[in-house]
Amino acid sequence: MKERAIPWVFLLILVSLIAFPFIVALLTGSSPLGVARGDRMIMRGESVRWQAVLIEIFLLGILAMSYNLIFGFTGVISFGHALFFGMGGYTIGLLLEFTDLDTTSALIFGLIGGLALAALLGLIIGLVSLRLQGVYFAIFTLAVAEMFFIFFGRLQLTRAEDGFAITDLPVWLDPTQSRLTFYYIVLAVFVLTFVFIRRLVNSPTGAVFKAIRENEDRASAIGYNPLTYKLIAITIGGVFAALAGILQVILNKKVGPELLSVTYTVDPLLMTIIGGIGTFTGPVIGASGLHLLDTALREQIVTIGSTTIRVADSWSLLLGLIFIAVVLIFPQGIVGTWMRWRARRVRLSSPPKGAENPVQADH
Amino acid sequence: MNASIILETHHLSKQFGGLVAVNDISLHFERGALHSIIGPNGAGKTTFFNLLTGKYRPTSGTVIYKGEDITRQPVFQRARRGIGRSFQITNIFPNLTVLENVRLSAQALSSINFRFFRTALSYDQYIRRAYEILELVGLNDSALLPANALPHGGKRKLELAILLAADPELLLLDEPTAGMASEQVPELIQTINALRQASQGAKTIIMVEHNMNVVMNISDRITVMHLGSVLAEGTPAEIAANKTVQSVYLGELYGDYGRGQSA
Repeated sequence: MKERAIPWVFLLILVSLIAFPFIVALLTGSSPLGVARGDRMIMRGESVRWQAVLIEIFLLGILAMSYNLIFGFTGVISFGHALFFGMGGYTIGLLLEFTDLDTTSALIFGLIGGLALAALLGLIIGLVSLRLQGVYFAIFTLAVAEMFFIFFGRLQLTRAEDGFAITDLPVWLDPTQSRLTFYYIVLAVFVLTFVFIRRLVNSPTGAVFKAIRENEDRASAIGYNPLTYKLIAITIGGVFAALAGILQVILNKKVGPELLSVTYTVDPLLMTIIGGIGTFTGPVIGASGLHLLDTALREQIVTIGSTTIRVADSWSLLLGLIFIAVVLIFPQGIVGTWMRWRARRVRLSSPPKGAENPVQADH
Repeated sequence: MNASIILETHHLSKQFGGLVAVNDISLHFERGALHSIIGPNGAGKTTFFNLLTGKYRPTSGTVIYKGEDITRQPVFQRARRGIGRSFQITNIFPNLTVLENVRLSAQALSSINFRFFRTALSYDQYIRRAYEILELVGLNDSALLPANALPHGGKRKLELAILLAADPELLLLDEPTAGMASEQVPELIQTINALRQASQGAKTIIMVEHNMNVVMNISDRITVMHLGSVLAEGTPAEIAANKTVQSVYLGELYGDYGRGQSA
């Protein structure tokens, strides 16, 4: 059996995403670079506005994919994912704003340091707590993440709950001046994350991840140490979450304890469940769907009879309703349900042995 | 150390609270033999079995495998040393394909597990090995089905295939006929005999089993447990002739003989 080639659909999507800023620019008559004012660029116009939307989708996608590696492919429920995201952000922010390093060094060390710190945290948390099973591990990770959230919410050095702004970005990286460049940087990281996780999950190591998810007892009875593989998954997942956190800080030019809040655990969790647990495209579809809905609906004001509702105020409520609806209609998530439906069709329409039709599709 | 002994236990005991489930058992298991452990329900067979697999740590006593003390080794380390086990209740990877179930087991003892960027499917040798085993147990037609789509008998075969794919030296079988329809039992006996013949005395089997037909037919030695202790040990003929065994155990079991299928 040969390795499956990258499906052409993925290539088509990639090309569309590369062309996206220019397509929007053409359709709306705006410039993909924004509007020039003196020697500065002002981020105004439809193209740059939509670039921002997609950048956020990519970031949430990276975060959701990293969560899915731990939760969907290895079967470990962690409620502490925000810890990795936030600590990545704080590392680069602190190096940029609170050290004497020049900007380039601060960016390089911030990137390496943020990822290394996430890996270290993943290893430590895993070693300390992975012997706990299921929900106990989840609670432990939640407690650790909340501890950091409270700590940074009170740390005067980093301006406590106000956080601090990033002022020291080079022009080429600054999303408020060169958004198109940043768009391509984040797109590249997003694609790399997707390819990396897909290769990892399809590797011999990834096969063991799935075995542990399916049946931990059996996996250890045939000679795999579940602890080792869970540690690998949590560490790698944590590193990618930190990468998303670093990019998020650059995007918003702001660091604050909200990066460590439970939102950045719950969002990727919901996106993964809505898109499809343990599928490659599910978390990305979940992230895109939720963020597009958020963007489209947030400014809306709905009037029913004499009641006026600003969607922004009840976004959580709406999100909850969407979540309930999706879970009821697509019990395996959007992608998971679709794959199951397709697998059933393949099985029904082929000879009963089904030997020529692998049931596990590659999505 | 006696090279013909593959596994031995010394004064092995396991207590759960006030209950002594296994009480001071010292046994040795000969290399190449099929050694069955029988006894009425509650005799401590399953606990003893789990002390051998590493699922439980004994309260006292030691387990020696090939001259080495493995008492404190976890399940996965024992598996890596060549101790494979099957489960009484079917214990497979339900949402993976039948082939993947077996391939994972073939891969387990190699060093490729930590290669992150090779596609698992590119490891032809493990796939070939998995197909060989599937052919042996008669499941090669279902290789690409999800494991939970197999009928019950197929799952039992898969259970055995997962065990065999790792090529263990010592096979611990936990009630292999449990839940099997009686017409499937001869097939299982045949597979076990074929396996032993093919290995030419290199494989040792320790089996906990309720079905007396199976036990009397294929065992080289039998240990009878009762209330956590060893009541008798010997060849099938000796056990069948043992008066004590007959009184406390065989009589009771022959009473519901033919039940066989219930666990």
